Amino acid sequence: MTRSVSQSVLIVRELQVPLLAVMLIGGCAGKAWRVIRDRSFAAAFGPAGLFPWRLRHPIMIAMCATEFGLGLALIATTGGPGAGLPATAARAGTAMFFLVAIGTLYEVRQRRPGAGCGCFGDFSDTPIGLRTIGRACLLCVSALAAIGAPPLRMASSFREAAFWVCVLALELTLIAGLSPEVAEIGVRLGYSEPCELRRLPVTRTLTALRGSSQWRRYADRLIADTPTDIWREGCWRFVVFEGVSHGRPVDIVFAVYLQARRPPIRAAILDGATDEVLSPSGIR
Amino acid sequence: MQSHLRQVRNSTDFPRWCDDVMTSTSPVRFVRRSVLKAAVLGSRSATSGWRADSADGADGDGLEPDQPGIGLRYTVLGKILDVSPHILVLETDAGEQRFPLAPTAVAWRGGPVAPAALRHGDHAIVRRLAPDSPVVERIWAEAGRVTGTIIERDGPATLLVDEGPAKGRRIVIIAAGASGRIQVRFPRLEPGYLIDVIGLRHDGFLQALIPATAQPPYHAGHPPTPPLVGGHVPDPISGTAVWHEPGEEPAGLLGLAYPALDPETSCERVAPTPATCSGDLHAVDPHATGPGCVRLPYLSVGSMLRLRNDCAGRGRLLPVTGCGATARLFCDRCVSCGTSRKGRIADLTMAAFVELGGDLEAGCFNAAMTIGG
Repeated sequence: MTRSVSQSVLIVRELQVPLLAVMLIGGCAGKAWRVIRDRSFAAAFGPAGLFPWRLRHPIMIAMCATEFGLGLALIATTGGPGAGLPATAARAGTAMFFLVAIGTLYEVRQRRPGAGCGCFGDFSDTPIGLRTIGRACLLCVSALAAIGAPPLRMASSFREAAFWVCVLALELTLIAGLSPEVAEIGVRLGYSEPCELRRLPVTRTLTALRGSSQWRRYADRLIADTPTDIWREGCWRFVVFEGVSHGRPVDIVFAVYLQARRPPIRAAILDGATDEVLSPSGIR
Repeated sequence: MQSHLRQVRNSTDFPRWCDDVMTSTSPVRFVRRSVLKAAVLGSRSATSGWRADSADGADGDGLEPDQPGIGLRYTVLGKILDVSPHILVLETDAGEQRFPLAPTAVAWRGGPVAPAALRHGDHAIVRRLAPDSPVVERIWAEAGRVTGTIIERDGPATLLVDEGPAKGRRIVIIAAGASGRIQVRFPRLEPGYLIDVIGLRHDGFLQALIPATAQPPYHAGHPPTPPLVGGHVPDPISGTAVWHEPGEEPAGLLGLAYPALDPETSCERVAPTPATCSGDLHAVDPHATGPGCVRLPYLSVGSMLRLRNDCAGRGRLLPVTGCGATARLFCDRCVSCGTSRKGRIADLTMAAFVELGGDLEAGCFNAAMTIGG
């Protein structure tokens, strides 16, 4: 029985290494993705916001590089060749990193109570709370537990593999429970931006317009393919073309509803000189 | 700082980015947009909302009816030719005009002053006691405002402020007597932080006298992300209306700079220019900072909005005349008559702000905005 418990503890300690590596590399990737998406380092400052402006870029880059480096070091020292001092150094470094993170998060919480932790590039703007600090504590304990754990190996039996999966699932559930980002992901997955706030390229509007029955109805009256004006109001984008109808210059205006598929399209023809409406609008 | 004087002039000479009424080669097309919209969507849809499923925007709020074609009814702009305790003489676009002063008339020139203390040659904006009445109740002389990101500081009192791609850069000199008052509300007068001050306009700079708001604690390039909107954006939208100096616009323009112009067809289409001086490193492009503090429907120059001053109970149908993206950076609330429900939703021209009953020195009023009118 005692041997079984000690073996279980050993397995749990072994599993901490890949888990920590994933968390560290994921944190770095989250920050990098946010910087690339927003084209701004400011988007991923997080705790670096505590420092003077000129130091924030280097601190953020150093933090990201440390996460990535530790993640790689943990993976590289997982197997037999990296065991011993390199593995101990990587795991101790990781524990130190999360220890510093706990102190930093506590400090940010005191000094900037509204700020998010920036752990995954400010993926969640939820202010730092006990959950976020608790997650850093958990990861710090994981790193400490991994010090001295033997190299990772394949499960020797189906029962052992099932135990690994259970331990991983339990720990991931615990981390998810401590992560405000998970709730944010849930909200975003189920979120559909209202049409008046949605960015939609003009090219898509023009493509939808040119494939519509309204376009075919008025195409023979257009004198140019290039619109003279395009603008947007809420859920509608308006496109104006010059045309000729019954020998007089006209403006043909299309209103395209901003939705991805089969948008409703309306059209009208106005006298180019008097702005008199020459034909009723219709809907596809 | 002196090296920036030329840069300040150049950047305000021509707003580089915005699909702006004042810089367009054919501003008539913006005016025609409401006609074309009404033709294609029908007049009811065109004036009642921006969504296909929008309910009609019935007025019903006791406002005076809009009178298209009629411009300023409360507001007069001009240069002071003469002023006495009872009469104000202004040189306006319509020529020399005389205005009797109401017994309760109040004047502002860097602070409350007696009307007779105003100076010959001052640029003034006045509000009539009633629509089209000759009697004047409020006078503001040489009022100015700078809103934007501090990009350079020279000494304790001189700042170079970037007002955004549409407006360029301004020099702000904090008046000696106002330093304490401004620093209480703006503790970080450092590059990268926001500033919004009201004061007296001088040739080439603004003499800052009044803080228009409290300084946001965040860096200008890192405003908070607004919460996601469930369903459609509420209509009308309640928030804060502020004002800006005319700049290149006509002084009497009745309109507003809107914080959320369509990024595909407006301000955000032109790539930012590379940094040419150290101050550029602190300049913040408001279009690159996300949706800003308030999620607003995308509109365009020429779109019509009905804006109601909740404090004065006065409303007008106003066109969008420019890009007000800098307003996105401010998550402040107006507290002129209760706390506004949201941040900045409209940046009015000075004339429109006064026309709607706002007091320039207050800097803001609580507003309700209906898209389409």
